[in-house]
Amino acid sequence: MRTVLTIIKKEFYRFFKDERLWLTAIVLPGVLIFAVYSLMGGIIDSVQQQEEDYFPTAIVVNMPTSLSPAFSQAFKLSDGDVDGGKQLVKERKIDALIVFPERFDELIAQYSPASGQPAPNVEIYYDSSEEHSQIAFYKAESMLSAFEDAASNMFDVNRPAAEAVYDFADSQSSSRMILSMIVPMILLMLLFSGCMAVAPESIAGEKERGTIATLLVTPVKRGYVAVGKIAALSVMALLSGLSSCIGMMLALPRLAGSGSGLTISMLTVGDYAALLGVVLSTVLVLIALIAIISAYAKSVKEASGLVVPVMLITMLCGVFSMFVTGVANIGLFFIPIFNSALIISSIISGTMTGGALAVAICANIAFSAALVFVLARMFKSERIMFNR
Amino acid sequence: MEEYLKEEYLKVENLTKTFRLSRKQRKTEGGLIVKTAVDDLSFTAYKGEIFGLLGPNGAGKTTTLRILATLIKPDNGDAFIGGSSAVHDEYAVRSKIGFLTSDLKLEDFFTPDYLFDYFSELYSVPAETAAKRKAEMFSRFGIDKFASVKVANLSTGMRQKVSLVISLVNDPDFIIFDEPTNGLDVLTAKTVTDFILELKARGKTVILSTHIFSLIEKLCDRVGIIIDGRLAALDTLENITAGKSLEERFFDIYSQFKGGEAL
Ligand SMILES: Nc1ncnc2c1ncn2[C@@H]1O[C@H](COP(=O)(O)OP(=O)(O)O)[C@@H](O)[C@H]1O
Ligand SMILES: [Mg+2]
Repeated sequence: MRTVLTIIKKEFYRFFKDERLWLTAIVLPGVLIFAVYSLMGGIIDSVQQQEEDYFPTAIVVNMPTSLSPAFSQAFKLSDGDVDGGKQLVKERKIDALIVFPERFDELIAQYSPASGQPAPNVEIYYDSSEEHSQIAFYKAESMLSAFEDAASNMFDVNRPAAEAVYDFADSQSSSRMILSMIVPMILLMLLFSGCMAVAPESIAGEKERGTIATLLVTPVKRGYVAVGKIAALSVMALLSGLSSCIGMMLALPRLAGSGSGLTISMLTVGDYAALLGVVLSTVLVLIALIAIISAYAKSVKEASGLVVPVMLITMLCGVFSMFVTGVANIGLFFIPIFNSALIISSIISGTMTGGALAVAICANIAFSAALVFVLARMFKSERIMFNR
Repeated sequence: MEEYLKEEYLKVENLTKTFRLSRKQRKTEGGLIVKTAVDDLSFTAYKGEIFGLLGPNGAGKTTTLRILATLIKPDNGDAFIGGSSAVHDEYAVRSKIGFLTSDLKLEDFFTPDYLFDYFSELYSVPAETAAKRKAEMFSRFGIDKFASVKVANLSTGMRQKVSLVISLVNDPDFIIFDEPTNGLDVLTAKTVTDFILELKARGKTVILSTHIFSLIEKLCDRVGIIIDGRLAALDTLENITAGKSLEERFFDIYSQFKGGEAL
């Protein structure tokens, strides 16, 4: 037992005394994810802002008096006829040409759908390959639709009013729904890369450099070596995953925009405890899997290649968890990693049950224990540890 | 008269070890699928002596020593070290041996100081004993000045001395040296050979492998000549040489063993 602690201590010493290691494995992922997501959020924001601020140019033919004030406010209008206007739009000199039928106001006042006649038609000429023209089109189209609604209003649906509440879901529900689908996948990938940052180096690396043999001539039980390595590496991988998560959480409000109601306070303390539990058990499984592959590999490079299938499976677990809706069959929670994706998803959507959580964590721990046993057997195998 | 005082410490009985060769290895070994590295090897080393395994490259010396150190298992036979079986009682064997070979490396990142403490703990050496031993050994080999320099930044000679000291943290009764002077500069080599004699003087049993005749002549009480994994001769150094030089005798034995074929 004391030797397990000795091994853990040594792994920690190796890791935390080497700033190159912990900077790349712990600090960098968080900072990088925060920076990338914030940048993405910033770009999306500024694009939206540009669209809102843009004041498109247009030629309106036969401008009806009823719409004239609204259009002159929304567009920078200039004079012109239909043919000249089309030419200018093609040449991208103006953003849109809007052609009303003559005497538009009178026409719509007289028009009755019951007559069977085609309704009056407004034509908007634009160039969808040009961003400003596109904005002009949407602007004109939405103004005209609003006008049509007002002109022929027979009934309203959910008329906006100060005291009216139509949607009983709390304001966060919809963002929680979306998050519950994408977060498991992102989180699993972050945890996986955290494990990859520490495990191959510590096992395949030691094998490659011939330092693990030095450990194996000592009278330390192979099982202790396996347990010590896995425990130490799991803590490091967890820290790496945690750093990524913090980076993501801090950047999320910026990414989703301030109106989305996405905040860290969305989840309760209990939710976070459950999350921590399931993440920890997942890290154990991933570390043990990668450790076994690393012990089999002859070098760190070979280990990174061999680990690709495990990465794909982890990713697929995240993807498939999106398709499990409602209350999942309890049997699914016995499948390592996939159960983690399901639990993470249910924590965020607020549908997690204690039973499922317990099954998932126990299944993951049992699976890791089996893997530790396999790893210890591998440390005993001369074919694996001393092959040429 | 002397024979009565001899106490068997290492007993090697019918050791056999084969390796399945990988596709790549088969090409260099002329299509051989299974290579017999050690072939029915038996010998005994007595307590307090230095036993030498002499043989050309590929004779099976390293393989034999690795079996003694319990790193690999023989296909057949067994070796008993101080009464413990290297096959069945590997933990007992590991705790009473020291194994020095260039295959066992120290991690570059750590200091000699840290490594000594680390391995002492792995061997469950009590803290005070370890501290005393460390002070003694570090000053004996001039490591004390470099005790907190990372292994990566040590000279090759100093690194070799650190490896030697680390392989002896448990103050073993039986020490295995695989090609102890290979790759060492003359000064470090002398430090190592002097120390091997010192170990003998302290009553330790030593087995070493080498292909260097002078090393055997200088150090060993008894010598086993190993060719193609088999024991070609085994006796005290005087009896083997019988007045000739070891080198001359070795080539006699070699050609005799190979069926009279000339070298
Ligand atoms: N792990 C291994 N796989 C395949 N062949 C091996 C292995 N280890 C040793 N051998 C072969 O066994 C023979 C004896 O090797 P070794 O014990 O290293 O000889 P020595 O130390 O006397 O030079 C050599 O032919 C070597 O190629
Ligand atoms: Mg050798």
